[in-house]
Amino acid sequence: MSHSAQTTDAATNPADYWGADLSQQVDCTVMARGVKMVYRMGSESIQALAGVDADIFTGEYISIMGPSGSGKTTFFNVVGGLIKPSEGSVYIDEIDIAQLDAGELAWLRCRKIGYIFQSYNIVKAMTALENVTLPMLFAGVPPDEAQDRAVDILKRVGLGERLLHTPKELSGGQQQRVAIARAFANQPAIILADEPTANLDLRTGEEIIALMKEMNTERGVTVICSTHDHKMLDISDRIMWMQDGRVKKLARREDVEITISKMKEEGH
Amino acid sequence: MTQEMWEIKRLHLKPELVWSMAMSSLRLRMGRTLLTLLTVAACCAFLLFLLTAPISDDPADRQMWGLMITLSLIVSAAGVLNTMLMSVTQRYREIGTIKCLGALDSFVLISVLVESAMLGLAGAILGIFAGLLLSVVIGSISVGLGVFTAAYWSGVFWKIGAAALVGLCLTTFGAALPAYIAAKMPPVEAMRGEK
Repeated sequence: MSHSAQTTDAATNPADYWGADLSQQVDCTVMARGVKMVYRMGSESIQALAGVDADIFTGEYISIMGPSGSGKTTFFNVVGGLIKPSEGSVYIDEIDIAQLDAGELAWLRCRKIGYIFQSYNIVKAMTALENVTLPMLFAGVPPDEAQDRAVDILKRVGLGERLLHTPKELSGGQQQRVAIARAFANQPAIILADEPTANLDLRTGEEIIALMKEMNTERGVTVICSTHDHKMLDISDRIMWMQDGRVKKLARREDVEITISKMKEEGH
Repeated sequence: MTQEMWEIKRLHLKPELVWSMAMSSLRLRMGRTLLTLLTVAACCAFLLFLLTAPISDDPADRQMWGLMITLSLIVSAAGVLNTMLMSVTQRYREIGTIKCLGALDSFVLISVLVESAMLGLAGAILGIFAGLLLSVVIGSISVGLGVFTAAYWSGVFWKIGAAALVGLCLTTFGAALPAYIAAKMPPVEAMRGEK
């Protein structure tokens, strides 16, 4: 217990935390400072985030855990530039997203962030290839180059044979691979994955996890992943627990090994 | 960033991109696309037929026809508007997704408008041919070879124009409001909209 408290403190100082000497600055892709989010539902207001501070380092794979209602999804949406926080600031690659207007947020989503959803959200009207090409076209990549790059990346995720298949002709796992390819297409700074394996069977889920980890290492893209899946934790660099709209604990995976096995025993 | 924003706007509104988005949407929902097309066509055909067909000079008759035109236009307009409304609300999720991929609101709005305008125009063209044919066939019963005289076809281009405009407006206006709402919606909400 005392150990976990220690890691939380240490997390506010990234250089310390990584065990690196202080002269060696660790880059942060995401910096959240005092992020609060209040939803109004009629006369009631619900506080989804009650002041979140977090640093997410460049190139790391961080998993976010927490029960439903912990503010996990809201934090996710804020970091993803999908909603603006009521208070506080979120910096993505040193851009304060609270300062952006709607068009600039679209730019941020296009260039800096790749989304992977629980329910894949592949555009039904389009083939796998078109789905992966689309974000690159939005980013201004010339169509021919975008297509070549999309073919490369689809081959990389193992769908080289299914470029022209529509979502209807793809299994869940394959659709999620298309989503991964699409998320990585614009070489974003962050990949945000919201329970990417929740709709998949065990083995397919494992394959998807492995693929995401490979892409994370290969391309040095920061991955932020919310999950209930313990296998997901094993490949993470760090794990963040949320509760009641706050960060309850943020720790390196090595340091929480015991906690995880204990959680497994308890059947969580 | 402002400079870059302009650049991005220009990119997003590239005709090819808007066109391919609109086409793939129409193709996906082929069944409904055809149904809407036929409704618009029927509406335009009926309107054009009534505009060109010889109607007796009896004021009571004319009033009767006027009533019929109005009623049938209202019925088909309601049908088309409803279909367009449904076809946009059904794809809130998809709109949310492409907004997550970086689509601008204007891209969402314009691609939906282009799609519905294409649908309306195709329906109108089909309807105009059907209407003219109907007019010739039915007209020849009452005035015989009179249908081939210039007098019968006086102002026909205006009438065709009016029918085409009605077809185009039906689908475009029907889609405009829901498309605007969907385009302005924050992506998360749009994606939650429909499961």
